[in-house]
Amino acid sequence: MEVIIIPIIASLVVIAMGKRIPMWLSALFSLLPILLVGKYFQQMGVEGGWKTIFDQPWISDNIRFTVGFDGLTGILLMLTNVLVPVIILGGIRNDENRVKITALTLFMQGALNGVFMAQDGLMFYIFWELALIPIYFITLTMSGVDAFKITLRFFLYTFIGSLAMLASLIYLFLHTANYSFAFESLRAVELSHTESLFVGGGILLAFLVKIPVLPFHSWQADTYTNTPAAGTMLLSGIMLKMGLYGLLRWFLPLAPESIEFYQPWVIGLSVAGVLYGALIAIRQKDMKRLVAFSSLSHVALIAAGIFTLTDAGLEGSVLQMFVHGINAVGLFLVIEIIERSTGTRILGELGGLAKNNRLFMVFFMLIALGTVAVPFTNGFPGELLLLKSVYTYNHNLALMAGLTIIFCAVYIFRMVQFSMFGEGTGTVAALKWNEILAFGILIVGVIGIGFMPQLIIDIVHNSIVQIGQWVSEARGVMS
Amino acid sequence: MIALFVTFFSAVILLFAGLNKKESVFSLFAVVSLFVSAALSFACANQWLSFGMLESWVPANMMSFGKEQHLFAALLAFITGFVILMFRENENLGTDQLGLMMFSLCGAYMMVSYEHLVMLFLGIEVLSIPLFVLAGANKQNLASNEASLKYFLMGAFSTGIFLLGTAFIYGGTGSLELEMMGIKPSFMHAMKGMPIPVLINAGIILMSVGLLFKVAAAPFHFWAPDVYEGSPNRTTVFMATIVKVAAFVAFYRLLNTFGGIKDSWASWLTVLGGMTILWGNLAALGQKSVKRTLAFSSIAHAGYLVMFLLIADGTNTWILWFYGFSYAIASVLVFSIANQAYQQTGDFSFDAFNGIAKKCPIVAVALVIGVLSMAGIPISAGFNAKFYLFSFAWQHTPWLVGIGLLGSAISVGYYFKFFKHAFLKESNNEMQFVDRGLLISLALIIVALGAMPWAILNLVF
Repeated sequence: MEVIIIPIIASLVVIAMGKRIPMWLSALFSLLPILLVGKYFQQMGVEGGWKTIFDQPWISDNIRFTVGFDGLTGILLMLTNVLVPVIILGGIRNDENRVKITALTLFMQGALNGVFMAQDGLMFYIFWELALIPIYFITLTMSGVDAFKITLRFFLYTFIGSLAMLASLIYLFLHTANYSFAFESLRAVELSHTESLFVGGGILLAFLVKIPVLPFHSWQADTYTNTPAAGTMLLSGIMLKMGLYGLLRWFLPLAPESIEFYQPWVIGLSVAGVLYGALIAIRQKDMKRLVAFSSLSHVALIAAGIFTLTDAGLEGSVLQMFVHGINAVGLFLVIEIIERSTGTRILGELGGLAKNNRLFMVFFMLIALGTVAVPFTNGFPGELLLLKSVYTYNHNLALMAGLTIIFCAVYIFRMVQFSMFGEGTGTVAALKWNEILAFGILIVGVIGIGFMPQLIIDIVHNSIVQIGQWVSEARGVMS
Repeated sequence: MIALFVTFFSAVILLFAGLNKKESVFSLFAVVSLFVSAALSFACANQWLSFGMLESWVPANMMSFGKEQHLFAALLAFITGFVILMFRENENLGTDQLGLMMFSLCGAYMMVSYEHLVMLFLGIEVLSIPLFVLAGANKQNLASNEASLKYFLMGAFSTGIFLLGTAFIYGGTGSLELEMMGIKPSFMHAMKGMPIPVLINAGIILMSVGLLFKVAAAPFHFWAPDVYEGSPNRTTVFMATIVKVAAFVAFYRLLNTFGGIKDSWASWLTVLGGMTILWGNLAALGQKSVKRTLAFSSIAHAGYLVMFLLIADGTNTWILWFYGFSYAIASVLVFSIANQAYQQTGDFSFDAFNGIAKKCPIVAVALVIGVLSMAGIPISAGFNAKFYLFSFAWQHTPWLVGIGLLGSAISVGYYFKFFKHAFLKESNNEMQFVDRGLLISLALIIVALGAMPWAILNLVF
């Protein structure tokens, strides 16, 4: 409850103070929720299911403001509340839009926390939409292009997906015993096969658009490329995880009868997306666009892992969600700092940046290694689990998806090489304390998870086992 | 009844005060009397106060004053108060106009509390006749004259159709009282194999057509964009909010009487509802003028409210109240920002909004909240209103809900034009917005209705 309210109040404070608010204070505001998340971990623990923290009638007596906590929620709360301070520390330029973007980012933090904690279907939907509003207005500050068209496409894609999800949720709601949106009531609804295809399809559409999986991805590249860095980081680092989290938390338990039907489609499209994103990333000159497509490729693999429904796939997906958040935000932060110093992010115009700023090069290199999934960095264990799970589903698909490791090395090291090494005129200014702090947090994530991935897997294990159990029960009934 | 009483006598005073040219002084008087009417009605609804003496003057078979009627009267008075308050500085057209607007409001009260079709007819006329004058109040403006004439012709035409329907109903049922009217057809419906007389069916259809004209639902909406565009801004807002809400309450009460033979009218009304939603939303996409866009958006909202008529059963009137309130508040908010932008630029295309975000961020925030509420995006009153409506309507008319969802998606296309101009475009015009506190408080009402709807509904109902 408090982790939702505090950032929203903080954003109002930022608006009220306007230009007088120093950056460190807003960063401090954004750090408050992580303390509360720690408290939840300590009080609630990660065992014994999804425990309710707060419960209050909201839209009607049976549509409640219910927030819960378990390992899966905990991991995503950790991710959100670690990355938002990083974004505020490093990702927001000190220009006329600073106050606006800071306030919107803080608001977004509250909305995202709401998404990850909601135990009530309608509350989930409301926060899901609410998270879209600040990011829309952050993307609207993009400059130099037809911003309205790009942002409207982004908004419409996700909004139409959300409306499909709303229709499905209302359908489930009307079939519950006591007209309730509570997760448990929605889950208890028994659907026929045809019904579940429609209901599941609606819910799935919202998540696939957000992730995005292949045919729904066309909003992504333009939005990522032109949005101010903070917006790109929020989108790739956290908002994509909303879709993946939704798959795990809402799609699999609510419409398990339809998984059988959608499984081959989603895995097929995801693997296609893995290759497609990677191949296009290799050809990109704009660093931001490159990372956008690399993100498309990485996230598609996570979606494929979830849909294999194996323990390895589900646990690997949560691990990789966390890791991808850190790496994507890291890469966009690197690009932002390069662009701030040199005024460009086109690979052909850069070069030799490593010479005068060794510290920056070390940070960039570590994050790049994490993205490429070198052993003992954070990317490796998750990707291994995901590929293993795809392998158990279908050998050939796993073979194709496995190519991404090679492709990823190609485009990431190409980016490092063209920007950091060789000849060039630009220089990167010495890092300020806030940028070093931001990188420091990310590097702890990169190395720490690389050595101890088991920490995260232990946290989510119970939740994942529970979800796997529900799915296999439903499939058992089916066959 | 108390609202009718207070509003009527304030209107008489204002009409005489029209001899004095200072509108701004008397508009405050009008606002106070309207808020007093709203407060007294609200108090009556909760039975904190009672004006039994006044109410006993009206025969019980003519008008009734239950909780529902008091709440709708409070809603109408409250919104009208805000309309006059927000537009008090502009278009100084004379105090008698305020009087006329309040007479029109008296008609709206009659429409929400009628028990007899004669009272409904009187209500429609009392509502409409001052509006014919108000629409043409801008004498020098050709568009305003056109609006007045168009509205008058359409009003006369629709009233004629409505009266023909009333005559048929009287022929078919032998009564003009709401309570008595429904008994015969419901009874006939209950007896299997007994056909509903053609007179009754035709009567319902004709009366509905008359009311559909008033609420501007497709295909009887074509007058609305021109009239809305031509009328002075204050009149436009009044028509888009008060007239629409009052006409829908009247419509719902009428159809509810014939709830027993719902099968006979639900089918074509469903088709019209779907048509209105799509037509309103699609036509709004191509508009360049803010006023026309909002006119088509109000047509689309009429379509959503038609959906309510199909599910109304007398117990869920609170949905209409909530929808009407959230729609009216958001309309007043967006219209008054548009009006101020228009006053300063003289331009009623979207360009009037250029650069608001830079020059006046607070107004931009209010605009965002108002527009998001109209589009039905959480957390706003508009989302909750649509949610209640859709979740109730799903079981009766699932595919109409589908069209409604589609309409919401389409509406984003034109509502977000406001953001395009407010946030992306630059402008050299100086912009000074007055009443910023009021704009923000309207926005806060919307957010409050969005954030804790159940608490507020429990308080009200």
